[in-house]
Amino acid sequence: MPGTELAHQAEIHTLYSDHHGWLQGWLRRKLGNHCDAADIAQDTFMRLLGGRRDTARLGEEPRALLTHIARCLVIDHWRRQDVERAYLETIAHLPEPEMPSPETRWLVLETLYRIEAMLRGLPHLTRQIFLLAQLDGMKYRQISDQLNISLPTVKRHMRKAFLACLSLE
Amino acid sequence: MPEVAHQLPLSRIEPAILEEAADWLTLLRSGEATDDDRSCLEHWRCQSDMHLAAWHRAESVLGTFSQVSAPVARGTLSQLESAGRRRALKTFALLLMAAPVSWVAYRQQPWREWQADFHTTIGEQQSFDLADGTRLVLNTATAVNVSFTDSVRSLTLLQGEILITTGKDPAPVARPFLVHTDHGQLRALGTRFTVHQLGDQTRLSVYDGAVEVAPHDAIGKVVVVAGEQRLFSSARIHPSELAVDNAELWEQGMLMASDMYLGDLVCELGRYRRGVLRCDPAVASLRVSGAFPVNDTDASLTLLQQTLPVQVSRITPWWVTLKAS
Repeated sequence: MPGTELAHQAEIHTLYSDHHGWLQGWLRRKLGNHCDAADIAQDTFMRLLGGRRDTARLGEEPRALLTHIARCLVIDHWRRQDVERAYLETIAHLPEPEMPSPETRWLVLETLYRIEAMLRGLPHLTRQIFLLAQLDGMKYRQISDQLNISLPTVKRHMRKAFLACLSLE
Repeated sequence: MPEVAHQLPLSRIEPAILEEAADWLTLLRSGEATDDDRSCLEHWRCQSDMHLAAWHRAESVLGTFSQVSAPVARGTLSQLESAGRRRALKTFALLLMAAPVSWVAYRQQPWREWQADFHTTIGEQQSFDLADGTRLVLNTATAVNVSFTDSVRSLTLLQGEILITTGKDPAPVARPFLVHTDHGQLRALGTRFTVHQLGDQTRLSVYDGAVEVAPHDAIGKVVVVAGEQRLFSSARIHPSELAVDNAELWEQGMLMASDMYLGDLVCELGRYRRGVLRCDPAVASLRVSGAFPVNDTDASLTLLQQTLPVQVSRITPWWVTLKAS
């Protein structure tokens, strides 16, 4: 319905002009960095716009929702930085022919970030079993022998890990 | 426009269908799936848009793991695990901030509890004037939490290097100024100093006044005075060295080398640079003196190339090695 769509856009516009400067300032203090603060402030509003949230429900405290979204984005941003740093340290120890080209680097980082996100929050044993299967290509039987656990236990952990992967936003 | 099945967002797929998809994945991965199972799966998949979308997600999960080599993924994950504790602390500090607190708000209610965290990325430097008049400068890749209360001014250095010039505290009651690192606690006694958190040690350099050091696991404290530099771990404090006041230089984006090993200089420049910067051991023991811009490490490398018998070998822009020329 174009009418409500327009009203929604207008509300976002008001929200933007009222709070964007403040949000960016808040982020700059959190991050100590102008560029990242500007990017994340922008992403916060994009998220709000894309999420088709009912802006009327923002009520008297739109800044509470804005900081909530922004905080999630900051944590995400830090995680990406962590993954990138860990990746660079890892490849620093690899023989040089294994170095990916700059073009594939971005793809690899995205993939690593997704893997990290999928595994985040899984118990240690589940994670260990899942990585033996998915990264090292071990069969369930080999995993059960190596970790000295039963075959049904291996399957149970695999299922749990797959479900976590499928449930990632 | 009709919605394409695989574009259904996660929230529109019933959880029970995701559970079934997980069952299928577990079965397929077991290597025990029969032809009958496979045709059952095909039938299951085509039942509805939600099933199609769930299976699309399943295929993308399998695809993700095939896109990266096992050593790279393993290495990255284990590096992340060891860095996890620090990050958890930092994330927790961010979540604690129920409402944003600005400098202005602090100045209006001067002695209320006040918390913030500061952060620089690689190659970045930032300075901040804290509410008590202390000037805090963060060098490259640094994270600090600040917490001021009625009774104490406390900084926690999570990683990296900071320069502190303590201000005259306007609080009615004198509050101690403390800096916490992984390895111990520092108490500033009216002063200007830098704290650099290295892997298993902290380096303290004092330029004005004095700082008291108390490592976590050692008995006793040591007062480090102006002109002195000390390394300490959580177990012990190393002997005193001469502190070279180059903090003012790094604050201005310069790195001062005075008869420094090339290997050490390259390592130091690497702190300001994304990617990998290495020095061939064959040239690591060359000696270097000079001032190097850290906000333009490429210029610094060119400078080295012009003054020393070395050449910069760029495999990619973010994988650089210094070799003998």
